[in-house]
Amino acid sequence: MKPSSRLWRRRELLAAMGGMFISWGMGWLSGCLPRTPQPSPVKTPVSEPGPRAGRPLRIGYLPITDASPLLVADALGFYRDEGLGDVELHLFRAWAQLLEAFQARQVDVIHVLIPAAIWLRYSRRFPARVVAWNHVNGSAMTVRPDIQRLKDLGGQTVAVPFWYSIHNVILQMLLRKAGLRPVLGGEGKVGPEEVRLVVLPPPEMPPALATGRIAGFIVAEPFNALAEVQQVGRIFRFSGDVWKEHACCVVMMHEADLEQAPSWSRGVIRAVVRAQVWLRQNRQEAARLLSREGRAYLPHPPKVLERVFAVHLAGYEDIIQNPAWSPMRIDFQPYPYPSFTEALVSALKETRVEGETGFLGPLKPAEVARDLVLEEWVREAIVEVGGPKVFGQPATWRRQERIEP
Amino acid sequence: MAALLPCIGLALGWGLWEALIRVASSRAPIAAAFAPAPSLEALYRLVREGVLPYHAAVSLPRVLIGVGLAAGVGVPMGLAIGYFRSLERITAPVLQFVRTISPLSWMPIAVIALGIGDRPVIFLIAIASVWPILLNTASGVRHLNRSWLWLARSVGASTTHILIHVAIPAVGPQLFTGLRMAVGIAWVVLVPAEMLGVSSGLGYFLLDTRDRLSYSELMASILWIGVVGFLLDTGIRALEARWRRSGAGQA
Repeated sequence: MKPSSRLWRRRELLAAMGGMFISWGMGWLSGCLPRTPQPSPVKTPVSEPGPRAGRPLRIGYLPITDASPLLVADALGFYRDEGLGDVELHLFRAWAQLLEAFQARQVDVIHVLIPAAIWLRYSRRFPARVVAWNHVNGSAMTVRPDIQRLKDLGGQTVAVPFWYSIHNVILQMLLRKAGLRPVLGGEGKVGPEEVRLVVLPPPEMPPALATGRIAGFIVAEPFNALAEVQQVGRIFRFSGDVWKEHACCVVMMHEADLEQAPSWSRGVIRAVVRAQVWLRQNRQEAARLLSREGRAYLPHPPKVLERVFAVHLAGYEDIIQNPAWSPMRIDFQPYPYPSFTEALVSALKETRVEGETGFLGPLKPAEVARDLVLEEWVREAIVEVGGPKVFGQPATWRRQERIEP
Repeated sequence: MAALLPCIGLALGWGLWEALIRVASSRAPIAAAFAPAPSLEALYRLVREGVLPYHAAVSLPRVLIGVGLAAGVGVPMGLAIGYFRSLERITAPVLQFVRTISPLSWMPIAVIALGIGDRPVIFLIAIASVWPILLNTASGVRHLNRSWLWLARSVGASTTHILIHVAIPAVGPQLFTGLRMAVGIAWVVLVPAEMLGVSSGLGYFLLDTRDRLSYSELMASILWIGVVGFLLDTGIRALEARWRRSGAGQA
């Protein structure tokens, strides 16, 4: 090789590296780069001199369809319409990391499992409140092909995504009904009347099922759809067929923001409510928009997401036990019914979880429903878009909880 | 013949890989996507489309800055600890304790103290890669021929002078070993560190492929990380050879 060409190559490489460092440095200086660059706000910014002035709206999420409203509100510019300025979306890979970043106040708005929200406020005593439901249903239990009835799970292992999750609550309801006793973690064999529960990160669930390490899992979409597409398991039961239109992920914000920046906070809630209206009307378009072939908010292909956003559960008639509820795989309804929070707190007291559970004992369901959930602002936002009927909900703002494991 | 040996190694590795996947996929068909053919196909496609080079260009500065910070802290500390026996005694209990902490258990602290984005990723890389640099440098100084130091002192050299002109050139080989180990560890830590709210990078992409169960792309990113890591190691070895040729090694 001629010395001159060698030199040129080295210089080119150095220039390329230098460019990388410069662009990286700029990113550092301007804080974290937003995932999608936002043009300047089209509406007059919220004129609130409070703690939010000049700061971007930072949203934390996991790559699951439960996050959809928070993501769609960004994709369609709803945050911008509310004058919330710059938006940063931060993707996390596990609940623990998302909750850590939220507690470190590195993100302002998150979607979180509602039992985890209870844990955060009453066990960790972290000042944050639930401001809306992010979606309803959206989860399912998937099993190995050899599992026909719940009884077949005796002596086997089933995975849940997080101890403080609606998945764990619903799974244990199902097991109790079948006369099976949940055993948490540990090693060795369990008895024929027992089922071992383990916590697994959702992406590990389908491969664990394929290798036979677990007999089933209960988790948010699209991991059930992925297991179906990869033909490693079949859906045993949809969560919305056990607890009618249950909440799973809720929208949570810092109490300090709610108190010190009320109009900013209301803007966030309005954007999320509008996103849910759009999601109800544009389900298949949402699947494409969120997928890696659309705006790539989620890493999944449209084929998998379209399954989750399907309007009718055609082909699942044999596993649906409450067809009268006409459950959707995932649906959207933002109003946080106090009756649900109360029923959930009671159900959590009967659910076995690992770790310190002493805080659950003294919790009074009705008090939690008032103290954890801020329902006035989301109610306002629902009225603004046309009232509860837009979401197929009764005008009374009340409902009867239907739980049939 | 000597040139053939790496080829034999590669062929053996390939055969082992193929055989392992055959066994695994006979029990769980999902494992077939990990096989060499689909993985290399995915690698070719992802490199041609520029996906993997893009993510590498994002991760490389994180790795280099992280290791650079680690060297900036590790080399001076290693020199001092290796040179002053009392300092070694003082720091040993704390260093031995902190060193064994898994880099990943620093994650919550990194997020709380540094936020999300590049900074915690770089911090995690730096804290994981500082130990091989520090310990190798310290052991290099400790095993210096003491008579050189006495000689230097007897001709009136100050401690600073001895460290810069005698110790640093003499510990060069250990320092480079430490650096190479540090870069290796940096790539290991990169993948879990890029779980923390970043939106690009090789670790981020690898986790993405896992989230959508696309295992041939996952294997492709592993191979790509291997290639980039190998090139980086080759670069450090070239630097070391150059340093030796320049005569500094014979000081």
